Amino acid sequence: MIFVILLSLLLLIILVTGLIAVFIPHIFGSVVLFNAFSFFVVLAYLLLSAPDVAFTEAVIGVISTAYYVIAVRELRKGDRE
Amino acid sequence: MKSTTNSIILEVACRLLIPVLIVFGVYVLVHGEYSPGGGFQAGVVLALAVVLNRVMEPADTKKGYWTFKIIALAGMGPIIYLLTGLWSIPFGGNFLEYGHLPLAVHEAERHLYGILFVEIGVTVGVMATIISIFDSLGKVGDPDDHGSLL
Repeated sequence: MIFVILLSLLLLIILVTGLIAVFIPHIFGSVVLFNAFSFFVVLAYLLLSAPDVAFTEAVIGVISTAYYVIAVRELRKGDRE
Repeated sequence: MKSTTNSIILEVACRLLIPVLIVFGVYVLVHGEYSPGGGFQAGVVLALAVVLNRVMEPADTKKGYWTFKIIALAGMGPIIYLLTGLWSIPFGGNFLEYGHLPLAVHEAERHLYGILFVEIGVTVGVMATIISIFDSLGKVGDPDDHGSLL
């Protein structure tokens, strides 16, 4: 029972975080919320006893966040040269 | 403007984190058979160490990116995979049949070494690809450096 409650709560958080990450107008906030979404997906995978998938998701979440941060930094610079 | 350093806290944290990341990446690679992990995850963790160093350096330092070398390294990974697969063919096995590898150990241990070589190939390929993508994203500064070679 506690498993179902915890998993439903986690899935609700994932849904809300993903929706806000899509619809927020602030671009860097979207990146941070995507990182939070990835973290909650990792927790869901761990709860569903898939540690290998969870490890891959954690690593991919970190590296994609680094990519997005660099891309946002390049966007903020505007038209250089 | 002179080349400025970042926050001292971030610098010290990175100095402590990067060796831990490298050791953890090698652990994930070697121990991947018994615990969660494997070639892909180890490659990403090892690439994270390099990417963290690149993120932390000040924006106006001269970037010594190894654009061509890193793409050559990304090609080395599949070559290691292919050579491991082809290695067992002259000794009477099929492609990637680890039981026929010419190693003087028990057959189960031969399987282990074959899988380890394949995972090393995957790790090198993934690590070099991620660093290459990161370098292409953050091209700044050098006027004679026109992004990626590809």
